[in-house]
Amino acid sequence: MDALRTCFNTIFIAPAAILWLAVSALVAEPFLYFFGDKNGKMVRKFVYVQSRGIVFFMRLASRGLRVEIAPRTSKPYVVVANHASALDLYTIGALGFDNVVYITKGWVFKIPFFHFVMDRAGYLDAEKTPPEEMLSRCQKAVENGCSIVLFPQGSRKNPQARFKSGAFYLAEKLNLPVVPVAIAGTQIMLPAGAKCIKAAKIVLKSFPEVSCAGYGGEIGHLKMAQDIKKQIMNFVNQECV
Amino acid sequence: MITREEIIQKTNEALSAEFELSAEKLVPTANFQTDLGLDSLDAVDMVVVLEQKFGFTLRQGYDIRSMVTLNDLYNFIEKLARENNK
Repeated sequence: MDALRTCFNTIFIAPAAILWLAVSALVAEPFLYFFGDKNGKMVRKFVYVQSRGIVFFMRLASRGLRVEIAPRTSKPYVVVANHASALDLYTIGALGFDNVVYITKGWVFKIPFFHFVMDRAGYLDAEKTPPEEMLSRCQKAVENGCSIVLFPQGSRKNPQARFKSGAFYLAEKLNLPVVPVAIAGTQIMLPAGAKCIKAAKIVLKSFPEVSCAGYGGEIGHLKMAQDIKKQIMNFVNQECV
Repeated sequence: MITREEIIQKTNEALSAEFELSAEKLVPTANFQTDLGLDSLDAVDMVVVLEQKFGFTLRQGYDIRSMVTLNDLYNFIEKLARENNK
């Protein structure tokens, strides 16, 4: 039964999801190109709509998809999530973050079509952008009402990898609260390097925001990274049993 | 003056706590990238925790990211400790 479900997901649902990305981009791109605003807000809203579509397909392919959103104020945040699957990028939209700037690795910018949208949405290349410029560009994005999204593990290869402290340093410097996000089940559905889409239970959870004020001193951001990793991974490991 | 053994012990304690590395992995020949799985972004965090542990700055004319093994790091800290009379 599991094998049958995996075949169905891989043969029908995955191509349908890719078709959704391609057709929605073809329809929206000319409009965004000619009528899009300068700061990229419309492009980011378009990515949000695409993400919601992908989450719909994930729901079809899953053994149930649950979303838990803790109440939060309507300010920009630094959103941090665990990362073990290419699907994780799309799950952020399901948690209600509709105007976000992603900070990603350089190779993502090299994917055809993606880089076009990413550039215009104001996404940032973590490897190419010097630290000072990163800070000023994030500051500008925050002034435009954007939240900043990072996957502090930096890679999908090890789902239990430590959280690097850059995201938390950024939150401290920009004086923004951090919203921890746990993504459970995508590492079973589509782990790094997989070619088939397995049916899995997916749980997406955003925790209450965490203020940087409780993490002072020179290594405050490192302590925050450890605490938030513990909070996220405890939830993920519990849900993935 | 801090001894080399103390440097090794303090360094290993700091790395083990921050980078979730087991004591068995922390041998002098361990390569940062291939054996310990640390990259250039981890190096930034490593500098911060080691400065906190030893009480002097490690950002003195040498790029910690160019070090290959744990032994290179011990040697570098030993040299700095001498210069700082620690």
